Amino acid sequence: MPEIRVTPLGAGQDVGRSCILVSIGGKNVMLDCGMHMGFNDDRRFPDFSYITRNGRLTDFLDCVIISHFHLDHCGALPYFSEMVGYDGPIYMTHPTQAICPILLEDYRKIAVDKKGEANFFTSQMIKDCMKKVVAVHLHQTVQVDDELEIKAYYAGHVLGAAMFQIKVGSESVVYTGDYNMTPDRHLGAAWIDKCRPNLLITESTYATTIRDSKRCRERDFLKKVHETVERGGKVLIPVFALGRAQELCILLETFWERVNLKAPIYFSTGLTEKANHYYKLFITWTNQKIRKTFVQRNMFEFKHIKAFDRAFADNPGPMVVFATPGMLHAGQSLQIFRKWAGNEKNMVIMPGYCVQGTVGHKILSGQRKLEMEGRQVLEVKMQVEYMSFSAHADAKGIMQLVGQAEPESVLLVHGEAKKMEFLKQKIEQEFRLLPSAKKPRLLHGTLIMKDSSFQLVSSEQALKELGLAEHQLRFTCRVHLHDSRKEQETAARVYSHLKSVLKDHCVQHLPDGSVTVESILIQAAAHSEDPGTKVLLVSWTYQDEELGSYLTSLLKKGLPQAPS
Amino acid sequence: MEPAEDWLVESLRLYQDFHAFDLSEATRVLEWIGDKGVFVAGYESRKKNEILHLTLPFRLSVKENQGLFPERDFKVRHGGFSDRPVFDLKHVPDTRLLVTSGLPGCYLQVWQVAEDSDVIQAVSTIAVHEKEGHLWPRVAIFSSVAPGILHGVRLSSLKVVDLESQKTMYTSGVSDSDELSSLQVLDAHTFAFCCTSGRLGLVDTRQKWAPSENLSPCPGSGGGRWCAEVGGRGRGPGPHIASLGSDGHLCLLDCRDLSHPESSVQCAVSTPSPAPELLRVTWAPGLDNCLAISGFDGTVQVYDVMSWDGMGGQAEPLFTHRGHVFLDGNGIDTAPLVTTHTWHPQKPRTLLSAASDASLHVWDWVDLRASC
Repeated sequence: MPEIRVTPLGAGQDVGRSCILVSIGGKNVMLDCGMHMGFNDDRRFPDFSYITRNGRLTDFLDCVIISHFHLDHCGALPYFSEMVGYDGPIYMTHPTQAICPILLEDYRKIAVDKKGEANFFTSQMIKDCMKKVVAVHLHQTVQVDDELEIKAYYAGHVLGAAMFQIKVGSESVVYTGDYNMTPDRHLGAAWIDKCRPNLLITESTYATTIRDSKRCRERDFLKKVHETVERGGKVLIPVFALGRAQELCILLETFWERVNLKAPIYFSTGLTEKANHYYKLFITWTNQKIRKTFVQRNMFEFKHIKAFDRAFADNPGPMVVFATPGMLHAGQSLQIFRKWAGNEKNMVIMPGYCVQGTVGHKILSGQRKLEMEGRQVLEVKMQVEYMSFSAHADAKGIMQLVGQAEPESVLLVHGEAKKMEFLKQKIEQEFRLLPSAKKPRLLHGTLIMKDSSFQLVSSEQALKELGLAEHQLRFTCRVHLHDSRKEQETAARVYSHLKSVLKDHCVQHLPDGSVTVESILIQAAAHSEDPGTKVLLVSWTYQDEELGSYLTSLLKKGLPQAPS
Repeated sequence: MEPAEDWLVESLRLYQDFHAFDLSEATRVLEWIGDKGVFVAGYESRKKNEILHLTLPFRLSVKENQGLFPERDFKVRHGGFSDRPVFDLKHVPDTRLLVTSGLPGCYLQVWQVAEDSDVIQAVSTIAVHEKEGHLWPRVAIFSSVAPGILHGVRLSSLKVVDLESQKTMYTSGVSDSDELSSLQVLDAHTFAFCCTSGRLGLVDTRQKWAPSENLSPCPGSGGGRWCAEVGGRGRGPGPHIASLGSDGHLCLLDCRDLSHPESSVQCAVSTPSPAPELLRVTWAPGLDNCLAISGFDGTVQVYDVMSWDGMGGQAEPLFTHRGHVFLDGNGIDTAPLVTTHTWHPQKPRTLLSAASDASLHVWDWVDLRASC
């Protein structure tokens, strides 16, 4: 029986939220390294002294894995690696690697410049920490060492978010991080294969929630914007450049067009550059099969949304402005906020969490009088709306994920065991999870009843027993090629081309001139009317359909002009 | 995709607020516990059904600064498993007990909602002596220090049973075999019944069976199946009964004189109802003279009874909720059917509605008649 130990280190009183230690097959892995955003002192960091009081963390931990760039999952990373001390590898996806340092730097600035904190990590520490990062691709098996391997799976939620499988020998654990099972406009839904881990670790909050549909959240956003604009007010939407902004822009643009609205929508200039950067990260991230769930359009070109100029903030009449930074702690969004706050016709929509110390956090706590620089008091009369667009799974979603991965056991973190008896029963019942040392095997066969007993036999055996002839189903396709040489030479060219392209498959050139790829047969024939054209007959059995259609499209592209 | 998008844009004007949820299984019950939680339960016959206690999104309960509460989700507070389908569920007020009814109909199940865990546990059963195949007993609760469970399949089997001792406190004592479709407790001694035939009555349990009754179902209607609810304040003072038939007839009766219906209308629905057992008519607790109906299709309709004139005319609803039709995410050909609906006890125009595709909506409609 494999022994896998899970210790949620957490932060503050919210154990398990942001940092989980897993011991599997003698290896120790730390999953996520987040901050507790509600505390200002040491309680915001996980208690790393639990891991080892005297020894070095680098000796104890085999690796650290970060699931995505949200601060409650990566906010304590520089503190952990540079101030507590860890020099081992830190794994994360490429977009996470690109975005984390930006968020960490923003956070550092707020903590040090706005709140005057002393014992905080520096910009240099962030850089040094990121040097230890090893970026991974989705579905890429990464060997951490001889025994430990990890693999990232698409989690949806935010750009770069991943679920991780950690494997040592035949034992494995899957950690979900934050994920969602219903696709949204540009991120798609989480997906994992039937990897059958011994343990699936996920947030208990998901399992006890039933999420309001994305459409209704978007509807609420549109309604608020529309109402403000209709009464002549201005809407400020502070955004963090990389992420939510694009989605909200698409939403507004579509709505504006449908309802034929005339009020201008602006995007502050800093955002356009970042949007391009985001776009590049995004394109490589979505180079997976999730693409087909996306809206088919270029999402980063807008008709109704124009670049903002700071002078426009003084223009009369309604408008909507997306501006950075996202927590109203400095820069353009804060400038605009100060101009518009005094008018009750205006509105500010905060699309995400704001760290303590920022103006965003203050107004979301209900503060209506703010002390600004120079002891100036700003009275906030504009409407303040807090909206959450983050895609998270819920009770239904977690069941779907468990159904996909088929774990032996499920661990729900950040919940009280005593209080989750119903949930436990529900998961057990749904999937009949039983502790078992053996892994189930997938069989393929035919169930026949013979002499009042059931037998599971191979399909061939079953056909024999029933006295039925086996039918072979083959498909044939014709591919026309421009080639005036003889058929045998065409076939030879096909053979060398396929041999070089399909390194993983068995490609053969038979004595009769035909080429085979696994069970697929390719023959070259002359065209009856046109001597300059050759016809390739590609034939495959239905079992090899995928390879067959792949070969057909490959051959349709033509043969390379190789020197003969 | 398109009609859904169009409807959502329309909805900006039609609804103040709108939430749409997907339960893991469809429910036929929506029973309040206080004004912050509801119970839902599955009704499939081939598997274990879940009974869930859900708390409403926090933002629906706050009175001010609603904009500062981004959470729009239901939380599953408690859950339990039922071996049989749940067709009705009633909460026993001021207790942690629930009573459910389903098939087979020979007993009622009593449940306890745990205090220190998330479990809803089956604790006892109440025998219903008539075994009646496909019929299941209707339930209503007399809430008091010693709660009484009113139940029955037919008028002949109507009785009130003390929850704790299981002693029978009251029986109809009649042999009338009219099938019951709804039961409603009005106060400590009175309850109303409605039979599938449309026969309705008000009963005082302090006397031997002598209900004040209507003479026949709504004039102008041709049979079908009926249900009813007492509430509202029609034209005169005092409560009224609204009675709904599967042929789309909606009848209004004054409780003081059930023999002469006050008014009746033909609802703007396609008839007959494909599932008459799901018919439901409810009075708005926070609005004068408004009621809601469902059970004909994927909509819930709100009517203002003051706008009715005489007998049998066509009535136009004040509002029609079409969310279940347009947001049907299943993509199957048959449109979903609304299985039940209920009004929010505090917020005057807020309703909850559930449909056969397991959707659950919370919506706050705009009264387009009202001036801005």
